[in-house]
Amino acid sequence: MLARTCLRSTRTFASAKNGAFKFAKRSASTQSSGAAAESPLRLNIAAAAATAVAAGSIAWYYHLYGFASAMTPAEEGLHATKYPWVHEQWLKTFDHQALRRGFQVYREVCASCHSLSRVPYRALVGTILTVDEAKALAEENEYDTEPNDQGEIEKRPGKLSDYLPDPYKNDEAARFANNGALPPDLSLIVKARHGGCDYIFSLLTGYPDEPPAGASVGAGLNFNPYFPGTGIAMARVLYDGLVDYEDGTPASTSQMAKDVVEFLNWAAEPEMDDRKRMGMKVLVVTSVLFALSVYVKRYKWAWLKSRKIVYDPPKSPPPATNLALPQQRAKS
Amino acid sequence: MGFWDAVTDLIDAATPWATVEAEAPADTPAETAPASESTEETTAETKAEESAPAAEEPEEEAEEEEEEEEDEDEIVDPKETLEEECRNSKECAPAKHHYDECAARVTGAGADNKEDCVEEFFHLVHCATQCAAPKLWNTLK
Repeated sequence: MLARTCLRSTRTFASAKNGAFKFAKRSASTQSSGAAAESPLRLNIAAAAATAVAAGSIAWYYHLYGFASAMTPAEEGLHATKYPWVHEQWLKTFDHQALRRGFQVYREVCASCHSLSRVPYRALVGTILTVDEAKALAEENEYDTEPNDQGEIEKRPGKLSDYLPDPYKNDEAARFANNGALPPDLSLIVKARHGGCDYIFSLLTGYPDEPPAGASVGAGLNFNPYFPGTGIAMARVLYDGLVDYEDGTPASTSQMAKDVVEFLNWAAEPEMDDRKRMGMKVLVVTSVLFALSVYVKRYKWAWLKSRKIVYDPPKSPPPATNLALPQQRAKS
Repeated sequence: MGFWDAVTDLIDAATPWATVEAEAPADTPAETAPASESTEETTAETKAEESAPAAEEPEEEAEEEEEEEEDEDEIVDPKETLEEECRNSKECAPAKHHYDECAARVTGAGADNKEDCVEEFFHLVHCATQCAAPKLWNTLK
């Protein structure tokens, strides 16, 4: 748009500008040492025309669009601070107590709007819940059966192989219930957002008490510096003491956010613990094998690498020739 | 840190005199903390007894303090306190100065104001969270 308006405005000035430039160019090429060629008047005309074009295009753009407000920091959103997550270290696993707390936070707080559709109950067994707890949890919800003899689909209590239920029937229902905003599925959200755990933790805990002076917050939106555009439909949900942890951990906002983020990281990559262990095994075994292969190579090549090539000249003295040096001849 | 933790864990697990516990042993500081509180209370009481003529007032004060201690069971978010400290620290003084100045300018400008302090706010929040992040992770479980 800017380019087009610039072009449009140059067209009006084109005749004056081209005349000035062409005249200056032609005179410079034909008259190599003419004083009239660089007459200050013509140069002044060219400079004035160029300045007028530049100023005119800026004025035209301002007239059309006002002050440009592109690429503001608010559009980008505040980049999340890097937090020293323990489970992100190379040799650390998830803290499964934290996962259990985080699942409790998800179930009591997040699950009313956000689905976790890729996590079945069986995945919780052994990592977050015991079998009996997971079964009891699954049985709280009803799922569709296979069609029976009359082709009717009935309801049955959930089993371990069922997936966590969605809070809404479909995306349209979710949008309708949330003022047009769709709460994203949280199964892979840690992988799906730049900054991962840091971003989600910052987003959950980063709601300021009041937006900064002069910031415009859209209708039905909340100010959050970490959300690109700073207007997020989700209001602050985590408040101190919202959840009663069964292990007695004080449920401060940041504690709940930390736990639920770790849980969501587990939901996104439940294989992380196994992956790290396997990675360790691979590193150990391959380093041993590499050291072994280096040893074997040196062992096998030892005869070749340690050989010595010696030039053994013939023992008999060469026949005296005229080419021999005079000193040698004197010595002999 | 992580690597040596793993090594020491392995050594601890391999030593024959090591005891293996399924759960982390209960923290002893939790037991000592109430004791110190009780000693404080007793000292307060003795002081109250010493100042016999004005005995009623200190007792009332002590009761009020106890009530306050009970009220302090309400959870305080460590992130907010730490970030408040960081915001007022010397480290973030430039950012805070800029934001305060911007806020004063914008609120003073009135209705025809087109400026916002989002950028200054971002810098301030970035500085405060950056400073508070390691401390926060030390306090959280």
